[in-house]
Amino acid sequence: MAAFSTLLKSFVRNANLVKNGAAVSNNLLRPNTSNALEAVRKMSGHEMMHIKPSRWSWNRFKDLLNFYVMLGVIPATVVITYINLFIGPAKLAEIPEGYVPEVHEYYAHPITRWMTKHIKKSYQQEYEVMCQHIYETDYARKLRIAEKRVHQKMQEKQDSQAYYYEPVTGRNERHIKSMLEKSVDYVGTR
Amino acid sequence: MEDPPRAPAHNPFFRFVHAVQNTIDRPVTWFRESVVTPNRPDHVYYHQKFRRVPTIDQCYTDDPVCRFEAQQQFNRDKLVDGEIVQLVRQRLKECIAYEIPDQDRKCAKLKEEFDKVSESFCMKYADLGPYNNVKDAYMKQKHRMLWERRHGKVGTGMKNEDEPL
Repeated sequence: MAAFSTLLKSFVRNANLVKNGAAVSNNLLRPNTSNALEAVRKMSGHEMMHIKPSRWSWNRFKDLLNFYVMLGVIPATVVITYINLFIGPAKLAEIPEGYVPEVHEYYAHPITRWMTKHIKKSYQQEYEVMCQHIYETDYARKLRIAEKRVHQKMQEKQDSQAYYYEPVTGRNERHIKSMLEKSVDYVGTR
Repeated sequence: MEDPPRAPAHNPFFRFVHAVQNTIDRPVTWFRESVVTPNRPDHVYYHQKFRRVPTIDQCYTDDPVCRFEAQQQFNRDKLVDGEIVQLVRQRLKECIAYEIPDQDRKCAKLKEEFDKVSESFCMKYADLGPYNNVKDAYMKQKHRMLWERRHGKVGTGMKNEDEPL
């Protein structure tokens, strides 16, 4: 891409390009498009800076165009053309007796079939997962309602301490005791 | 998908027209038939058939899984019925486009069929609001039946006020 730019620059320098209706004969009036050395003071005598507008955006555009065409457009075109020509869409047929087709056999185009086989979750899978989720949340909801009703009845009748009884375990006490035993080794005392 | 074979033309003008068409058609057809079609594997695809599940009127009120399945079946049936209406409508439109200006006489049967089909579709699915719901559709049917019990069938005109229900 950079090679094309330098070719264009040398062409511009040598040719008399007519821009914006300027007269060709009068070289003084045409805009200075060549890479003229416009330093204020010619101090060093060689290697002077070219003062011109920035070519950064144009160069970046060419880079991006090259990147996306070579890496995206061309491979995609080749692959998709090959698939459409030599694999091609499927034909519609009746489901044979006693045969349950795979999920990917319900689609025509080969790319759709591949995606359904390897990437996408099938309708049936998502449906059944949703059914299970609904069942579980509904079960939890019904348990909560039942618990609330039991609680209400116990509040009304005031004849049972069963809900408010918290069973005592020795688990916490044993843990605290073992920590105290260990702390004797660290601290030297309880 | 394949076009029917063209009748041979004896008229020199049509022979010329066919020749011009063939300059593009022949190479393309040759390429397809000799290079593309033999190299393609024979694969087929099917249309999925769904099992019928209990509808909303057969579900218990505290069974949300049954309701979910009925809702999904309702959505699928709505798509299918919509396509049926589209097919009938397309037939009527093609008839009108072909028969104009005689379409009132020649397409009367198709128009009647389309009116019936779209009426039944609207009775079941229309006027339910933007978020469809199988329970709302069921209630709509219940309300229509109650209304019909009091006022007679929909579309039979105003009832006589003196008559008992």
